Amino acid sequence: MAGPALSLSDCRVLIVDDNEFNRKSLALVIRRAGITDIAFAENGREGLAAVDRFRPDLVLLDVDMPVMNGWEMCEALRRNATHLELPVLFQTALDSDEEQVRCFEAGGSDFISKPIKPGECVARVRHQLEKRKLYGDLAAFRERVQRELSHARAMQTSLLPENRRLAEVADRYGLTLDAHFETSSELGGDFWGLYPLGDRRLGLLMVDFAGHGITAAINTFRLHTLIDRFPMQHMAPSQWLAQLNAALKDVLPTGQFATAFFGILDLAIDTLTFAAAGSPNPVLGTPSATRGNAPDIRLLDSAGLVLGASRRAQYVDQSHRLPRGGFLFLYSDALIECGGEECGPLGQDAVPDFVRDGLARDRQHPLRPMMDSFYARTNLPLRDDLTAVWVARRA
Amino acid sequence: MDFKTTNTGDATEVRLAGRLEFTDHDKIPGIIEMLDPMAQTGRRRLVLDMSALEFIDSAGLGMLLILQEEAENHEIKMVVRGPAGDVRRSIELARLSEIITIEP
Repeated sequence: MAGPALSLSDCRVLIVDDNEFNRKSLALVIRRAGITDIAFAENGREGLAAVDRFRPDLVLLDVDMPVMNGWEMCEALRRNATHLELPVLFQTALDSDEEQVRCFEAGGSDFISKPIKPGECVARVRHQLEKRKLYGDLAAFRERVQRELSHARAMQTSLLPENRRLAEVADRYGLTLDAHFETSSELGGDFWGLYPLGDRRLGLLMVDFAGHGITAAINTFRLHTLIDRFPMQHMAPSQWLAQLNAALKDVLPTGQFATAFFGILDLAIDTLTFAAAGSPNPVLGTPSATRGNAPDIRLLDSAGLVLGASRRAQYVDQSHRLPRGGFLFLYSDALIECGGEECGPLGQDAVPDFVRDGLARDRQHPLRPMMDSFYARTNLPLRDDLTAVWVARRA
Repeated sequence: MDFKTTNTGDATEVRLAGRLEFTDHDKIPGIIEMLDPMAQTGRRRLVLDMSALEFIDSAGLGMLLILQEEAENHEIKMVVRGPAGDVRRSIELARLSEIITIEP
């Protein structure tokens, strides 16, 4: 094995053998290899008790013993989940193929043949102990990373509007607000937010950093600090995006960028004004002129140079009527790019029908049926982060 | 994503096929490595032929931006040629034509 040899001085070994001479000579061999913490047992039953009491890192186990033989002891050990990974080295004088196979069937990690050859014995003991240590290190590493990722995930979730906040904003502005957020791994690169700008205006932002995972997630934290630096109050959405773009260009390495939608809904004049930077086409719905008819639904143009790619980027404002009973549906590209085996991805053009279908199933809260039908056709885990936000003005 | 390279006169042409996405990050260094020998042998144009590319995601667009910058650093002109279908749509939506030369 590569790397410096593991010191065996802090390893504990249990020797189980009914023959005193064997116990002593085995102890002598492994003591010379630096193992000093050694315990003994004289049969399988004593051995099991010694494992629980002594907590060895490895067991050297004889096969033929009174009361309980080595195979039976090993089988009993493996039935206990705590000892599934404990290395058990059989020492056996039985050299038939069948007997040796029996050692592995009983759950043994390896065996050494009697009479014991000191060099081979130490090499096999060392190999098993090193494997155990590596396994332990990896398990500890994995546990630590998972713990840290789940903390980070909680932090990321805290950047997004909570349900209570959604309800508050919805009531204040006479809206229906529903949102869905799912990352493709522990962390993701999507972000969205609601920004009250006085009693009649509400800012809506959705940003999707290229890629996903930890790098993209770090960018959402960067974004969150930048947003507070640029007040939205007295600025057109295009100007605000241009400021955000310049700031992101300063911090993002080449190749990392974000798509974005930033709009301001003005209730006093029933108008949505927005600027976009390459986000998927938002869906705008307006109540039909004829009472009782289905709403007019269309995709909005959201082309624009992605954020953080060039300092010179400029954005364009568009205004659309969004009266009572109208709605806006925003989503990240996972909605249209992720698919399954039977159905391919939804694709941009199918989104209006996808929304109509959702509305047919739940007129007030179509987001849930939309997500149900998305997940029904899509392979999990998602290949990209999914965010979807439904904003409707109450009729 | 797979790519094939041919050298013609003053240009190196890289023909991309399949899907260019998040999981292809390790293939970009293979294209960047060609820039040094190109600059040394006086080939000043890098043409990315995308007519056989079926799909590009946002990470793939990011790779184009990286290639563009690397090419500029080598004083090589990068051209994206023939994106079609969804690929063309994605490139247009992200307005990459403001930074990268796109030819039909």
